[in-house]
Amino acid sequence: MVKIVFESHDGSERTELELSPGGSVMEAAAANNIDGILADCGGSMVCGTCHAFVSPEWFEKLPEQSEMESALLEYVPDPQPNARLCCQLEVSDAIDGITFTLPESQR
Amino acid sequence: MNSTVNDHIPDHVPADLVVSYDYHGDPRLTNEVHASLQVLHDEAPPVFYTPRNGGHWVVTRFDEIKKVVEDYEVFSAKEMQIPRIENPPYFIPLNVDPPNNIPYRQALMPAFSPKAIKALEAKIRQWAGEIIDNALAKGDGFDFIQEVASVYPVSIFMELMGMPMDRLWEFRNLSDEFFSTNDQQKIHQLSGQIIMAMTEILEQKKAAPADDLMSHILNIKVKGEPISLEEMQNMCFLLFLGGMDTVANVTGYSFRQLANMPELQQRLHDNPADIAKFTDEAIRMFGVISNPRIVAKDAEVFGVKFKKDDMVLCLLPISGRDDRKNGNPHVFDIDRSKEDGHTLTFSSGPHMCLGSFLARSEIRILVEEWFKRVARYEIVPGTELGYRTGFSLALTELPLNTVKS
Ligand code: HEM
Ligand code: FES
Repeated sequence: MVKIVFESHDGSERTELELSPGGSVMEAAAANNIDGILADCGGSMVCGTCHAFVSPEWFEKLPEQSEMESALLEYVPDPQPNARLCCQLEVSDAIDGITFTLPESQR
Repeated sequence: MNSTVNDHIPDHVPADLVVSYDYHGDPRLTNEVHASLQVLHDEAPPVFYTPRNGGHWVVTRFDEIKKVVEDYEVFSAKEMQIPRIENPPYFIPLNVDPPNNIPYRQALMPAFSPKAIKALEAKIRQWAGEIIDNALAKGDGFDFIQEVASVYPVSIFMELMGMPMDRLWEFRNLSDEFFSTNDQQKIHQLSGQIIMAMTEILEQKKAAPADDLMSHILNIKVKGEPISLEEMQNMCFLLFLGGMDTVANVTGYSFRQLANMPELQQRLHDNPADIAKFTDEAIRMFGVISNPRIVAKDAEVFGVKFKKDDMVLCLLPISGRDDRKNGNPHVFDIDRSKEDGHTLTFSSGPHMCLGSFLARSEIRILVEEWFKRVARYEIVPGTELGYRTGFSLALTELPLNTVKS
């Protein structure tokens, strides 16, 4: 199983998910009604409303961003380094234990 | 509209999936357009085939629609005419399937992103205030659709594009005429006029670039190459088509709903922070665009056999009213949970509305400015409200009486 934590912007809420590998982090968040992930475009990488922040250590370890992903991340309401689109990350053992901090708003 | 197209049911469609539905004006429809359309959820399978308008598939429920609009390999956006026609219109990026749509979408995105729209907020607010003030000055019985809902998005569009404001009235009139006619010849002629006006402005921007969308469009490069004037005109025209009537109609239906909910009016007046929730709920309940797709290859999806070149119509305006997706879907409740608030009003997938962030902000800001000026309002009693149907649902008038704050 893969453990993923979603933490609200101010750290007041934490949701821990135990997932079997497969599918995207966005899909897992949607299936578990994580409030801060909207995913308006359903993972087609045109909306940016599935973004979240990870620690610099995790950021280093994740697979590289496509050009389109980095472009989208520049235009979210409050762009920050270490942001990723959850629809572009696969649930796998490689991210076991990761924490995603949700932005204050997605749009 | 009189349909001269024959009914048709192809051989691969089983009889139990055939239900008659005429998107040009179905007999089920009343002026409560959404409420009368949502009966299709119960009266028909989630994916059914209507013989009307030359015959096409209709998709009514959330999960099925989401699948169709996301699965572009089977359901292509390259043609959107039902029935099909020779030389159908082709818009960029709307009718371009991935991956070729991506460079265009990426080029337009910065101007429509949450960040860009946040920066535009003060200007949007100024327009909202000014337009509402002018409408209220006309006194009771003014037509909200004519005086507010339709002029507002045109003004903001011109602002965003960087079009000269001394052409505001010319452009508002063109837009008004364009969206209120069904006459193909008139539509053709007006399209020409609108594209010509935008081309003139593009030429001016070329000579004197500014920090606006039109100047940006002049500089778009795809695979390192500048795009042609024709592509620029095409994109500008799509933005025009996508961003006017849509906002006007969602706003119209939302204000109509709110007119009949005096307690909610009071709440929004006293607690402007709740207006964002109102906007979300209005968008869930009052989608206005249904989107067509063409089947790109024979495929079996949802246990249904689709054949290459079948046309498919997704009824996005009732996607948020699907009781398999949302609890109490027919109730207008601004406090509903995210779990029960799903909608595809802006579609999903690679063509998910580029203007959705702008549209949401426009509606929210208009309601905020409204309740700074209006304490409560009602529809002029005894009015029979008109509507238009098709791929786009419209409310043609909404005369209001208001009590000032
Ligand atoms: C509440 C108002 C609006 C609604 C309900 C709406 C609805 C939609 C829908 C359903 C689509 C997808 C069409 C398809 O998949 O076939 C779409 C696409 C699009 N919309 Fe909107 N829209 C709205 C406002 C706007 C605004 C304000 C603009 C810009 C000025 C805009 C520009 C576009 C563009 C350019 C596309 C094509 C995107 C692409 O193909 O990548 N829309 N819209
Ligand atoms: S869901 Fe739209 S970009 Fe990830």
